Amino acid sequence: MPTALARSPHQDASIDLAVSRLVAEFGHRLDQQTVVGVVRSCRQDLSGSPADALPELVERLARYRLTQD
Amino acid sequence: MGYVDVAGVRFTLPDGRVLLDDVSFRVGEGACAALVGENGAGKTTLLRIISGDLSPDGGSVARTGGLGVMRQFIGSVRDDITVERFLVDLAPPAVRDAWDAVEAAELAMMEADDEPTQMAYASALAHWGDVGGYDVEVTWDTVTVAALGVPYDGCKYRGLDTLSGGEQKRLALECLLRGPDQVLLLDEPDNYLDVPGKRWLEERLIETRKTVLFVSHDRELLARVADRVVTVEGGGVWVHGGDWAGYPAARTARHERMAELRKRWDEEHERLVDLVRTLQQQAKNSPDMAARYHAMQTRLAKFEAAGPPPDRPPEQQVAMRLRGGRTGIRVVVAGQLELTGLMKPFDLDVDYGDRVAVLGANGAGKSHFLRLLAGQDVPHTGSWRLGARVVPGFFAQTHAHPDWLDRTLVDLLWHGEPGRPGVDRGRAMATLRRYGLAAQGDQLFRSLSGGQQARFQVLLLELSGATLLLLDEPTDNLDVLSAESLEQALAAYDGTVVAVTHDRWFARTFDRFLVFGADGRVYEAPEPVFDEARVQRTR
Ligand SMILES: Nc1ncnc2c1ncn2[C@@H]1O[C@H](COP(=O)(O)OP(=O)(O)OP(=O)(O)O)[C@@H](O)[C@H]1O
Ligand SMILES: [Mg+2]
Repeated sequence: MPTALARSPHQDASIDLAVSRLVAEFGHRLDQQTVVGVVRSCRQDLSGSPADALPELVERLARYRLTQD
Repeated sequence: MGYVDVAGVRFTLPDGRVLLDDVSFRVGEGACAALVGENGAGKTTLLRIISGDLSPDGGSVARTGGLGVMRQFIGSVRDDITVERFLVDLAPPAVRDAWDAVEAAELAMMEADDEPTQMAYASALAHWGDVGGYDVEVTWDTVTVAALGVPYDGCKYRGLDTLSGGEQKRLALECLLRGPDQVLLLDEPDNYLDVPGKRWLEERLIETRKTVLFVSHDRELLARVADRVVTVEGGGVWVHGGDWAGYPAARTARHERMAELRKRWDEEHERLVDLVRTLQQQAKNSPDMAARYHAMQTRLAKFEAAGPPPDRPPEQQVAMRLRGGRTGIRVVVAGQLELTGLMKPFDLDVDYGDRVAVLGANGAGKSHFLRLLAGQDVPHTGSWRLGARVVPGFFAQTHAHPDWLDRTLVDLLWHGEPGRPGVDRGRAMATLRRYGLAAQGDQLFRSLSGGQQARFQVLLLELSGATLLLLDEPTDNLDVLSAESLEQALAAYDGTVVAVTHDRWFARTFDRFLVFGADGRVYEAPEPVFDEARVQRTR
């Protein structure tokens, strides 16, 4: 469980990390644009989640959706 | 701010006895009210009715402000829980539920990592944030640092049973006093606390703006903290609106008034009965008198139906007896003894007849030392032995007796155990009567109140013929009269006593003081030492 609710305005910086990790992982069969799109929509679907937990939640969900594609 | 309003509450025990009848009182905003009464009077039951654990047979409880509850036997019931779970259980219901939902969602994710499960987890986390869960976690961190000296993350998975009784109490108190609940019900919060801990509690209770209803038998705490006193006795409750200083006089005056009212009722009753009898005679010859006779009969019937006013509650009777017996001069000899990781090696000689009080901060290893002498497995180095004819008798209220819980007192006494012969029902009842437990003879051990359990354990010591008493916090849970009776029994005891205690008043009746210091040093002091600092140990 995350320990604190950090309301950083730059929270999407950590989502960028998720993007680069996922691009490395799925880049061989999906183009970067698709990965970024999926991550964005996950980010959107998960809005309302605690900021601190967001990067992990987004990455997890995006990985799941990319695997299903 | 919050208050508690109890109106006309009635509670019947499973065996049919009425424990509480027509109980009404109010604890107003910001009050710090003491709840007192002899062991078994119904204090814990009343708190459990207020908290909603038990439902009364009649009457109602109203309250506002969120309720935080600390139970009398912390840690001894569900020993296998973690510090984390313990703190969750002390949190307000909304936080508790949100926490449980997050845990369930985490578990579900281990099973399946699909989208619905992930979304459920995300929304459980969002809900955790909404109920203020993240702030609560910050508070927990403050709380564990204050109570145990370690951050929350460093101790959350620790078993609660690895904390000493005092540490558990301190943890619960820190949590409730810093938490959001505005009404606190504290059942014997001072039990097991070391003396600095008790002083800390006194200060916190004085300064808190919360509404507090607390049970205590400790006269120092009562005197310093209570601004009103709620007494449970004779199946009812009455409130003294002042502090503890004026309480004994108020109680005496009340009892005298009750006795006086009762006496008047009895006299009036007798007068009416006589009158009826006389009129009955006269009615035989006079029809005029017959009408008066019937009128008088009705009046008597009404008078009796209204019932007598309650009599003053009977004085409590407790007479503990501890016999002991002659042993060799040397009773305990320890050489360079060290309980692993708890203290520096020390030497100790205890002689026949000594009264040794073991003092020191919570967590210093005092209880472990007693358990070692009682023959339990406690890791240690160095040597120790008991002298000739020394039979240890061990008393500890935190010691769980799972095998006792579902047996009656008479049954436990009948069977005896190694070192304690069984006794027949007649003898058992006679002994129970001396301990104020006559009505409890056929009750299961688990249903006894805290103080009744403590009294019963002293009774077992009496029957065991122990010649060395090892007592771990014996006066905790005991009401004032029982504690005094124990003191008298110890004074008359022919044997040796080693007792761990944080009871300032009780400690002064001892003649040797063995202090477990905060720095790990064990030393003897000529006077009781109560202000050894908290043990700083890396855990
Ligand atoms: N199942 C039961 N059957 C009969 N009596 C019971 C049962 N459960 C509890 N009691 C009795 O209810 C009474 C009230 O218990 P309670 O725990 O409320 O007392 P208390 O005032 O808190 O005492 P203490 O100071 O010792 O903590 C006791 O006499 C106890 O023996
Ligand atoms: Mg109680």
